[in-house]
Amino acid sequence: MIAIQDLHHVYRDGPTAHAALRGVSVEVAAGEFLALLGPSGCGKTTLLRCIAGLAEPESGTIRIDGETVYSGRERINVPARARDIGMVFQSYAIWPHMTVAQNAAFPLPYRRPELTAAEVREHTDEVLRLVHLETLADRPAPALSGGQQQRLALARALISKPKVLLLDEPLSNLDARLREEMRFELRGLTRRLGVTTILVTHEQAEALSLADVVAVMDEGRFMQISSPRELYERPQTEFIAGFVGRANLVPADVVEAFGGTDGRIVVATPFGIVECATRRPRSAGERAMLAVPPEAFALKAPDDAAEGTVEGVAFLGDATDLVVRVAELTLVVKVPTSQAPALGERVAVCITSGSCMLLG
Amino acid sequence: MAIGVVLILCLLVVLVLQSLASSEGGWHWAAAANYANLLTPAVGRVLLNSVELAAIATAVAFVFALPIAWLVERTAIRGKAGIVGIMLVSMLVPGFAYAMGWLFLLHPQIGLLNKLSAAAFGEAHLVLNVETLAGMGIIVGLQLAPVAFLMIAAALRSLDYRMEEAASIAGAPGAEAIRRIVLPLIRPALAQAAIYVFIIAFGTFDVPAIIGWGNRIFTFSTYIYLTTNPQAGLPDYGQAGALSVVVLAAALLLTVWTRYLSLDLKRFAVVSGKGYQTTQLPLGRWAAAAYAFVAVYLFAGIVAPLLLLLWESFLPFVQAPSPAAFHALSGMNYRTIFGDAFLGGLTNSALLMTVVPVVVLVFSFAFSWIGYRTRLRGRALLDGIAFLPHAIPSVIMAVGVVVLTLYGIDHVVRLYGTIWIIVLAYSVTWVSYGTRMTNSGLMQLHRELEESASIGGASTWAVVRVIVLPLIGRTLLLAWVYLVILAGRELTLAVLLTTPGNTTVPAFVWITWLNGGLTLGAAATVCYLLCLSPLIVGYSYLLNRTRRAGAGIAGAV
Repeated sequence: MIAIQDLHHVYRDGPTAHAALRGVSVEVAAGEFLALLGPSGCGKTTLLRCIAGLAEPESGTIRIDGETVYSGRERINVPARARDIGMVFQSYAIWPHMTVAQNAAFPLPYRRPELTAAEVREHTDEVLRLVHLETLADRPAPALSGGQQQRLALARALISKPKVLLLDEPLSNLDARLREEMRFELRGLTRRLGVTTILVTHEQAEALSLADVVAVMDEGRFMQISSPRELYERPQTEFIAGFVGRANLVPADVVEAFGGTDGRIVVATPFGIVECATRRPRSAGERAMLAVPPEAFALKAPDDAAEGTVEGVAFLGDATDLVVRVAELTLVVKVPTSQAPALGERVAVCITSGSCMLLG
Repeated sequence: MAIGVVLILCLLVVLVLQSLASSEGGWHWAAAANYANLLTPAVGRVLLNSVELAAIATAVAFVFALPIAWLVERTAIRGKAGIVGIMLVSMLVPGFAYAMGWLFLLHPQIGLLNKLSAAAFGEAHLVLNVETLAGMGIIVGLQLAPVAFLMIAAALRSLDYRMEEAASIAGAPGAEAIRRIVLPLIRPALAQAAIYVFIIAFGTFDVPAIIGWGNRIFTFSTYIYLTTNPQAGLPDYGQAGALSVVVLAAALLLTVWTRYLSLDLKRFAVVSGKGYQTTQLPLGRWAAAAYAFVAVYLFAGIVAPLLLLLWESFLPFVQAPSPAAFHALSGMNYRTIFGDAFLGGLTNSALLMTVVPVVVLVFSFAFSWIGYRTRLRGRALLDGIAFLPHAIPSVIMAVGVVVLTLYGIDHVVRLYGTIWIIVLAYSVTWVSYGTRMTNSGLMQLHRELEESASIGGASTWAVVRVIVLPLIGRTLLLAWVYLVILAGRELTLAVLLTTPGNTTVPAFVWITWLNGGLTLGAAATVCYLLCLSPLIVGYSYLLNRTRRAGAGIAGAV
């Protein structure tokens, strides 16, 4: 549905220039939900704005449903109003001088000029029902709460039944509870409508829970594009391991050589012998960094475990996050609350499960 | 769009060319003579006079503006809307009205206050001789206090209170927080306000014309007027041009510096929070003193001069209130002025107030749109050009327009002597005010509001029509009313461009005054103030209700 090839974008402000996109390529299949995940300034919003036609790239191509909407070489740049898209903005951009229904119906006369007035009303009612705002249709838009404005923005983006839905940090202005609620709703809605969706977010939980495919970006490039599970369990770089999984990096020595390209091997760490995943062949004795998620650690009696001091305790409800200092390593360890030690206590730490990834 | 840019640039080129030539006895090169003439003691005196007047005016303006801005923005004083209203009204009443009132109050011989003081303490004891640079400086300062007030208040308001709160949390006492946090943060804004007020005061015409003329104290503007409208002989546009170029260069340098200061301001960019609650100092026992201070300004700035203006307008010649004067009161002046000249002036002023604001707003919106909503190359330069007239004293703009018309436009269409030359001059000059206001309107508008309309399929024109114009409507309305008032009260540009056929009311008042009809001029002014007052009060009310627009308006006065 969406195909992006070698896209470059440069922000110019007088003599200074800043490359926001440095050659990104990605394909999104029809009906797929792609999340662009990365820290602020990584270029994810720029990429979304390029797809929308709100920013003009430097070079590359963007195709939506087979139609080339941008091509640097062919000098094509279809304006936003002529691309078949809907978009939810971070600020929602609800027009304060219009009612809820007027806001939602705005795209119809432009996108679907063939509709009669009665049909427009029908479409508007339908889309407002979809986002549970049907009772507020005649309310002035500024009278809506944050969550309602968010739904209205979604209704406006969907009303003309676009092939592509773009979401620019749509949940970041909501409080934590509402955010979780909307996350489920958004996922259900896009799946039901089968609309191809691209979401920009800097929150890994949002990306992992909503998307079919997550693309992690940093400094204008894609670092890894894969399913949420794959991303979490098998991060390709230290950056992704840290950004997505809050993983701890632990030095490890390969115990047994491995010849395949994708498999499991045994490594020696300060926390004992551990089985982990690797993507490439390894020779015995090779040293690499092992990404260990916080929940892969366990506290137990010291035999092959390393001993450390608890330097921080954060109670999260069912689980507790600990900061444990072991020699020169500072680890984030997640344990069931029932087993949580006290601050300053000496504990023995080992690595239990196999959800560790040998990096590099 | 392009017309605007070309006109402004043409004016500057013409002005420079003019300063290099002389039209006396046919065109010839006279750069040396024009610029050498500037080195005469008379011109030096004029420039020194202007600097002295501007310096005194700036100081006086700050004496009132700083405390009142602080009272309105940072204390819990009651009746803030009233105080802001006083400042706005006093800013909008035409300057020549005040100047006349002050002359009636403080003229060394006929001024009411000076007469009272002479009667009580003897001939030599004057309250203040207004026919001096110090006297005029104080009056100009009183007039410009609202301008400084708006700029300082805007700076104080945009300052995040949490900055000070953070200082308090860090243990700094109140005075320390003001000295170490508030002052450094608003210093660029204060400097900007001071320079801005200084430039306006330097080029001010109303007060030196109405008050200084009689005593032959000339400042920059009145001197230019004198050389281009000499009582005997031919106008010397060459010398006016040369002097203008020199002052223009100085004004531009100062303005570039203020722009540099405002960059500094951005470096300090105090991230404004979402509607944070302001802490306001309770005044307690000091409230009475604060009100007294505002009352002093109200009385000195508006009430006293306008009351005297009203009083004298009913007298055949200037006299202080006395039993004899009471018997002389009559509506004679009012019957006299309702002749052709005044009515013609009213028609012309009404035409200007109708046409000019529309022209200015259309051009301003186009300038702002290009500056803030397109990625056109050179848009920053465009904004700079639109800002140029801001830095140029009106009298220079007027000379530029006259010369451009006489030696350029008039060969195509006859403009000189018609009302349209005044339309042209006002429009070109005030595009710089208009763009400040439309800029701030567009800046306040979140870009995503327009982008979401584009995504919705609307064309650029539809976005402007359906989204932008309705949303910045209030800003545009405020700008429009402000420009209507400006077009009504403007004296400087009008007197330099006026001929019997295109007299405006302010120009009519000035000519009447110059010919010795002091009380007649007062009557005309009172009539005109009555016409303008609904606009002035309405605008003050509107602006008061949208105090947040204050920042945008401050850039426009």
